[in-house]
Amino acid sequence: MRKLGWQQWLVLTLFLAALIVAGLFGVRGVRHALYWSTHRDVPIRAWMPVPYIAHSYRVPPHVLYQALGINPSHPHDKRPLRVIARDQNRPVEEIISLLQETIARERASGPPPPAPRARPSEGGTPP
Amino acid sequence: MSLSDYLLGMLGLYGPPALFCVLLVGAIGVPTPGSLLLLVAGSFVEQGEMGLWPVLALGFAGSVVGDQVGYALGRWGGRRLSARLSRWVGGEQRLRSAEDWLKRRQGGAIFLSRWLLSPLGSVVNITAGLTGYPWPRFLLYDLLGEALWVTLYVLLGRFFSDRVEEVSEMLGDFTWAFAGLLLAALLGWSLLRNLRAPSAEELKAGRGGAVADETS
Repeated sequence: MRKLGWQQWLVLTLFLAALIVAGLFGVRGVRHALYWSTHRDVPIRAWMPVPYIAHSYRVPPHVLYQALGINPSHPHDKRPLRVIARDQNRPVEEIISLLQETIARERASGPPPPAPRARPSEGGTPP
Repeated sequence: MSLSDYLLGMLGLYGPPALFCVLLVGAIGVPTPGSLLLLVAGSFVEQGEMGLWPVLALGFAGSVVGDQVGYALGRWGGRRLSARLSRWVGGEQRLRSAEDWLKRRQGGAIFLSRWLLSPLGSVVNITAGLTGYPWPRFLLYDLLGEALWVTLYVLLGRFFSDRVEEVSEMLGDFTWAFAGLLLAALLGWSLLRNLRAPSAEELKAGRGGAVADETS
């Protein structure tokens, strides 16, 4: 067999490193795909407007607007939570926990949401 | 609060015009979460908060205009850089041969870096301009790739409308996995070609044999 020079060793090392990187990202991607095929409740973040959260958690938007003290007759309020928090002079974390409590109450009182195959309590944390 | 959160909030407030602006500056090279914004815009379309056609049209227009600005920066702003580069790499001739190679191969790179390897898009725009890649061909590959990127991501956002951030993370993982595989394939091919080529000793022995045959 032909002896490898230092340039070939360098290319071989880079080749193996590229394969390892591809493998790691591939495995992470597959784990994410498997996790999110059975879980639906995404964490609430400061950029999200109320209709997006209502859509993600499958609760009526007016319930969330009411919890935040916003007139539900104004359904197209697209302000992100960050802006709502600033306008109401409250920390955004407080708004997020208020919404989480409201969603939990709404789900406990109403019929179970359609589609999801795993409840958040069974889910653990995303990979 | 991260830049990404801020831009997503802007998208919710101002709609497709915000998408146009973010994709435009992203194509020039400012690090912005363009793919995530397209997915979120798709989710807003699904919720009835935005229209599909304005999102597709302004998303497409923003990315294509930004790509042309990137190309122009490379083409007309990069000449000074090119002159310096030619001194570093060892002369005009070497730079010219690298440019020729890029011109032959760049069509595929332009197309793939629009949608499959989108993090490389802004670098490819500037490189295409710098190497003098013909603009009409650049525009053709750009239009095809961007149309595919914008449509694909907006539709994925519509389909996975209730968990777009998570889908974006997953797509990012697959993008880097693909980039790693592509790089591995290129390096593996180069290594194999190098190993199959006759070594200096083999060439010498071959020539020696030929000379011996001629003298006998």
